[in-house]
Amino acid sequence: MSAAGLTPAKRAAITAIGFAGLLGVAWTIVAVLTSSHASPEWLILTLLLTIGSSFTATGMYAWARRPDSWFGLQLSAVGLAWFATALAAADDDLLFTIGVLVGSLYAAVIVHALLGFPTGRLRSRGERVFVVSVYLLCVVGPLLMLLVTAPDPDLPRNVLLVDANDRLADVVDAVLRGGSLAAAVGATILLVLRWRRATAPERRLLAPVLWSGAATTAGLALSLTGQLLNLPGGVLNVFDFAGLFVFASIPFAFVTGIVRANLSRGQSVGRLVARLGDAEAGRGAASLRDALAIALHDRSLAIAYWMPAGGPGGSAGPAGAGGERDGAGGRYVDAAGQPVALPEPGSGRSFTEVEREGRRVAAIVHDASLDEEPELVRAAGAAAALALENERLDAELRVQIAEVRASRKRLLEVVTRERRRIERDLHDGAQQRLVALALTLGIAEHQVASDPEQAQALIREARDEARLALEELRELARGIHPAILTDRGLGPALEALASRAPLPVELADVPAERLPPPVEGAAYFVVAEALANVAKYAAASHAEVIVQRVNGHAVVEVRDDGVGGADPEAGTGLRGLEDRLSALDGRLAVFSPSGRGTTIRAEIPCTS
Amino acid sequence: MRVVIAEDSVLLREGIARLLEEAGHEVVGQAGDAEDLVRKVLAHRPDIAIVDVRMPPTHTDDGLRAALELRERAPDVCVLVLSQYVEERYAHELIGGGAAGVGYLLKDRVADVERFVDAVGRVGEGGSALDPEVVAQLLGRRRRDDPLEGLTPREREVLGLMAEGRSNRAIADELVVTERAVEKHVTSIFGKLDLPPAAHDHRRVLAVLRYLGAPRP
Repeated sequence: MSAAGLTPAKRAAITAIGFAGLLGVAWTIVAVLTSSHASPEWLILTLLLTIGSSFTATGMYAWARRPDSWFGLQLSAVGLAWFATALAAADDDLLFTIGVLVGSLYAAVIVHALLGFPTGRLRSRGERVFVVSVYLLCVVGPLLMLLVTAPDPDLPRNVLLVDANDRLADVVDAVLRGGSLAAAVGATILLVLRWRRATAPERRLLAPVLWSGAATTAGLALSLTGQLLNLPGGVLNVFDFAGLFVFASIPFAFVTGIVRANLSRGQSVGRLVARLGDAEAGRGAASLRDALAIALHDRSLAIAYWMPAGGPGGSAGPAGAGGERDGAGGRYVDAAGQPVALPEPGSGRSFTEVEREGRRVAAIVHDASLDEEPELVRAAGAAAALALENERLDAELRVQIAEVRASRKRLLEVVTRERRRIERDLHDGAQQRLVALALTLGIAEHQVASDPEQAQALIREARDEARLALEELRELARGIHPAILTDRGLGPALEALASRAPLPVELADVPAERLPPPVEGAAYFVVAEALANVAKYAAASHAEVIVQRVNGHAVVEVRDDGVGGADPEAGTGLRGLEDRLSALDGRLAVFSPSGRGTTIRAEIPCTS
Repeated sequence: MRVVIAEDSVLLREGIARLLEEAGHEVVGQAGDAEDLVRKVLAHRPDIAIVDVRMPPTHTDDGLRAALELRERAPDVCVLVLSQYVEERYAHELIGGGAAGVGYLLKDRVADVERFVDAVGRVGEGGSALDPEVVAQLLGRRRRDDPLEGLTPREREVLGLMAEGRSNRAIADELVVTERAVEKHVTSIFGKLDLPPAAHDHRRVLAVLRYLGAPRP
């Protein structure tokens, strides 16, 4: 059995309960056998011992099994309270009086335990008010009775008697009977409501305890009604014994529930394994989710797949950042690859994480009641871990495909936007100038005979237009792809870029050897875009460009000493770069703490 | 002056040839690619080779590489490199050991016939011609503790024209001042930048280029 959460304090408390139980057994035997008024002795002794010890022992077991639940403690408390009723068998006046006073306490504790099952915590304010009322009824009621009830010559003396008053005693008795009836009916209704509100997996768990409990409270209600109706003594005795019998069955029902759960767990997991085998062999259409839903009897069950960070959409960096286990190291997605949030505690839903070979694979999102059967969920998860890992990889692939699709689309948009910009630049710049030039030359040709001087001036004008057109074309060509990058590679191209930058740029560590052209292009445009941003936004006094080859990656870093606070999501420039890089399986990171400069870092795999 | 022209665009090649012949030079060979250029230069031993950077066979910087090869194999032949774009780095590579007889100009400059012919003549006689755009790049580069900040605007102008390879006479004409005034500026600039005085114009180019040089020459 699981001993998780069994703190030394709780272990000591359980041991103490055990000793108290043994003390209860010993005391009960002594008290009943020496009693002058308890009869029939053997029947009373049997009832006291079986019910008292079964509740106490089952409670201890339940508490050790689920240390976080108060139900076990409450069950043991019922047993001990039951032993306390044996005090009434004592011949000593004081002990006898105490025995009568606490003689009904067990009833309040069992109502408390039943309503709190399985966590031992009451679920609503109404339930709490009800349970407190029942406790008051079971303690204050006997006290009031003792204050006014006339002494019985066959019994020890009632030390609490103030003034024997038969009429008052009758009134108190009637009120107490009415209160008890109301409590029994109320408890029965609450238990039935609890059942009706329970989800299907919860019901499987609740059934044995809830039904034996409801039968007990209903039996009590029946017996009290019988007394009110003055039914014959024989009938009432039958009611009483039937009531005692179902009450005594509660601990056994609880244990039966556990045994049944254990058995069905074995069966469920066995069937799950068979079903997974079928699914793998292509027999049966049941999906993994359905198989798990059937095994865990939770039709609402869902699976969330773990997507580690740095997986799809970016390769693991050259620094090798593998093995992240914290929540920030990834996220959960559904089978379609869409991100999903795991349920919050107290939402009625819960989840169990499945690991395989020490790595998180998935989370089974299920009804919160399954938290009471963690062994079942864990066993099912372990059985399905391999299949879950396969589906997780499928989901990861889908995420990757979705991201590739999105990035491809964005890349296309970038290309289209670029083409439009080039077309516009050509149209507004060089093309216009060439039209003007052609026109000027035309006029000059017309005037060359009549006014050679004017013609000469026009030709000079035309030459200026041509020069400007050429300058514009040169700038445009440089923006599309600088020739020096093709001719001489990254280092010289970056030098040229740095020397044109409007702020001092230091260049360090650029590899002398040529890199694959797409890598050089991407690295160049990362630096170009970064330096353009530095000039535009950073208010920096200088910038530094570092290019290194690390583990088969070109790592490009552009640092400035400016104001920082750059938002990588804002603007299309960085986004476009990201897409350009992701086409090469590279990735881009922006570190820009406010006030402490900006570092843009690109990692591009050099597969050549 | 005997000239070999290497340029893969026939139209432009013929144009330059006509231009130079009109200016009284003799075009002894025309080449359409880098290999052809080297062969013709070695065969004709002209005074100057005019070379386009981007040429067959690879259409990258073949012309520049051929020019560098010619500097090695035929040091007596002056070289004027033309290009659609100018890069500081290429200027450093070309001038490297010495600026005598080396020119590096934007191709556009051929449109300004007078100046182009002048530059060809200057380079062919062992002088230098560095394109104003390269010079602007050199002077415009942002540095920490920029030594050029100590220069007056007029001195910067003079420094730029010096870097282009102009003589004091040409600088004086350009700025419409006396040659004396230019000489005073030059002395002041060399003093401020702590450069050794240089007699020849092409040595001045080299000194200025080295001084302003790229971090990785």
